[in-house]
Amino acid sequence: MGELLGLPRQWWEAAQERLFFLPPFPEQADSLALFSLLLVVGLLIGEWLNARFHWPKLIGYVLAGTIFGPSLLGWISIEALAQARPIADAALGLLLLEAGRRLDLRWLASNPAVRRSTAADIVLSFFVIYLFASLAVGMEPAWAAATAAVTMASAPAVVLLTVEESKAQGQVTERVILHTSISSAAAFVLFAMVLGVVHAEYSDDWLNAVVHPLWVVVGAVLIAWGVSRFALLVARRLPKRSLAQVFILVASALFAVGLARMLAVPVFLTLFLMGALLAFRDEHQTLRYTELPEGHWLLAIILFVVIGASLPWHEFTWLTGLQALGLLLARALAKIGALFWSGNDLPSKKRLLVGVGIQPLSATAVFMAYELASLYPEVGRSALLLPLFAAAIMEIAGPALCRLALVKAGETEHGEHGEKTKGGIG
Amino acid sequence: MSDSIGEFTHSEPLTLGVELELQLVSRRDFDLTRGATDLLGTLAYDGRFGEIKLEITESMIEVSTLARARVSEIHDDLAGLRETLVQQCDLNNIKVCGGGTHPFHRWAERRICPGERFDEIYQRYGYLAKQFTVFGQHIHVGCTSADEAIWLTQALGKYVPAFIALSASSPFVDGVDTFFQSARLNAVSAFPLSGQCPPLADWKAFVEYFKLLQACGIARSIKDLYWDIRPKPEFGTVEIRVCDTPLGIETATALAALAQSLSRYLLRTRLPLHAERRAHVARYNKFQACRYGLAAMISDPVGLCQVSLRDSLLALFEALAEDAEALGCFDWLQVLAAVVQAGSGDAEWLRGQAKTHGNLHDAVRDASARFMEKAA
Repeated sequence: MGELLGLPRQWWEAAQERLFFLPPFPEQADSLALFSLLLVVGLLIGEWLNARFHWPKLIGYVLAGTIFGPSLLGWISIEALAQARPIADAALGLLLLEAGRRLDLRWLASNPAVRRSTAADIVLSFFVIYLFASLAVGMEPAWAAATAAVTMASAPAVVLLTVEESKAQGQVTERVILHTSISSAAAFVLFAMVLGVVHAEYSDDWLNAVVHPLWVVVGAVLIAWGVSRFALLVARRLPKRSLAQVFILVASALFAVGLARMLAVPVFLTLFLMGALLAFRDEHQTLRYTELPEGHWLLAIILFVVIGASLPWHEFTWLTGLQALGLLLARALAKIGALFWSGNDLPSKKRLLVGVGIQPLSATAVFMAYELASLYPEVGRSALLLPLFAAAIMEIAGPALCRLALVKAGETEHGEHGEKTKGGIG
Repeated sequence: MSDSIGEFTHSEPLTLGVELELQLVSRRDFDLTRGATDLLGTLAYDGRFGEIKLEITESMIEVSTLARARVSEIHDDLAGLRETLVQQCDLNNIKVCGGGTHPFHRWAERRICPGERFDEIYQRYGYLAKQFTVFGQHIHVGCTSADEAIWLTQALGKYVPAFIALSASSPFVDGVDTFFQSARLNAVSAFPLSGQCPPLADWKAFVEYFKLLQACGIARSIKDLYWDIRPKPEFGTVEIRVCDTPLGIETATALAALAQSLSRYLLRTRLPLHAERRAHVARYNKFQACRYGLAAMISDPVGLCQVSLRDSLLALFEALAEDAEALGCFDWLQVLAAVVQAGSGDAEWLRGQAKTHGNLHDAVRDASARFMEKAA
């Protein structure tokens, strides 16, 4: 490369003697430029996979990040990745805000079968993963609990984008969204508790063991409460569904992201709570019908490229890979089993499809794992490789499984091979 | 494959049956949602109030009462069907709503229900089938003979504008105010066999006319006739098909009372029909009723003048009082008389909600709450 650049460098340096404004010869490509190229490649791969194989576009974005990220080709450095993190946070925040707004507790109140299947999904997923991590992998209880908290929930960002991309509508779709939202809420609560457990396990500092989870939960609640109230107050003065209301929704979400980052409170928890509070406290339906702008797809590309690039493939070992597969298998059985045996107000085939549709595991899990790992880097990093690899595998398989479930339920606009669907299965 | 009309099933005179096509809306944003197949797939219901069945698209559901002699029984059936449906919808997190059109849904997003007949309609009519996601009330009136059914079909034709104006509940289409009181019928008018039954003297003339349509390849079965009022041989009824689904079952019941007492009045008095003359003004009068509702001016081809629909309705209610008393449905007619006197029905109510809220989502939300309201 150095030889290749020799001639241009000579010309450049010769020109510099005459042209005073020229900077020194650029030895390296600008990280922003490279990252932008990475986004374009991600977009192209996503579009190609979608057009050629009818795969969800998200898979393409993750693949681009994985292949060209620091773990494999190294097209983009860890530092450049860190620069893109605020945008990824904003993207994840907006999608979790939407997931929170979809948390429909009235449905739980009116349908006992949905209540049962929700409880079964949460309890079975957590305990099956915990048992697998502690008994089959031999993890210590604190890290086994952390692994279970991080991986038990489905991925709101993946589910919402897959539903939107495939224009799905119907009972399987609605229940996949509901179970994803509620299991995420449960995972966030358990995650906060696990923070305390990890502190208790690795230090004698009981103050932190108690106060840190409180800081996370109370901080997130306070930010979410304050910003949602602010958003509703301002939005009430504007026409419903107007562009101005969309702006208020997005701006207040970004404001909450900023506050959460300032106070070291998890962004995903804050924005999810903010979405839920916006839905619960919106007595006058002020923001109920206001939708996120189409532009959130642009942010989604950045999010999934960053996640793909953040996955620690360079630390891959066959043993961890096999353990991650085992964890995913146990998790899949727990989720499908929970839905199949408890949600008896749907035909059995559709219950099975809901179980398949909630398999994704992604952005929030990866971010939660890194958050935990950063507390005790010397232990946490290796202890959390298992959930990270499980998430890495599901980054590819998750969107495909979710889409498969929606297609098989006949609820998407297009069928398995891209043909227009006529109707659902009975 | 053409079906013969078959024999006319004889019914008890003036028995009633009511079908309502209802909207399935999302509880999140009150747009139409796909849910009919799932709803019926898990419905545990013994049919005690009548039937609940699929309609052409996944966002519609049809309820139909049992054949009943009295209007109050029709009301009880509709209340029972509503209760059953709403409970099932609660389980699936969706809402049911009346109204002739959904104010802001996008027809292209509609999904045709699974089923051979629905698929055939979609293949034959293309996008019209999806645009047919409109919601009507059909009222069946029992007839003792086939000839009586044809005569009643002709006689009721004069009152098509009355049924349209009294039930009008579809002022919005594609998110805009159409200025119509009933915009639903514009979607029906696009079908080639919509409109009025031609002036036919008796059952024999009807059968010959239908055979002509079959021979020319225009109609295969009687279901292809999308007439405003048509005979329904397998039920032994005349079916009034021009009403929008009202926003509540009280109005739906009152419209059934009007159909029953009007049929009794017509069959009792047997006034001259002037069917040929009325055929000339039928389309105009129908447009007037759709566009202006109770404020319409209707052409009278016999008196050669225009008359106010509101005035002629008030006069009609007076004329029907004796028959309504005899049938035990006088009070139900008063529900409609009150609407006429107030001069505004469901369409104006929807406009009022839209104006109050400044958006159509909340108007549908209120309409779905109104559908659940029980009579005081």
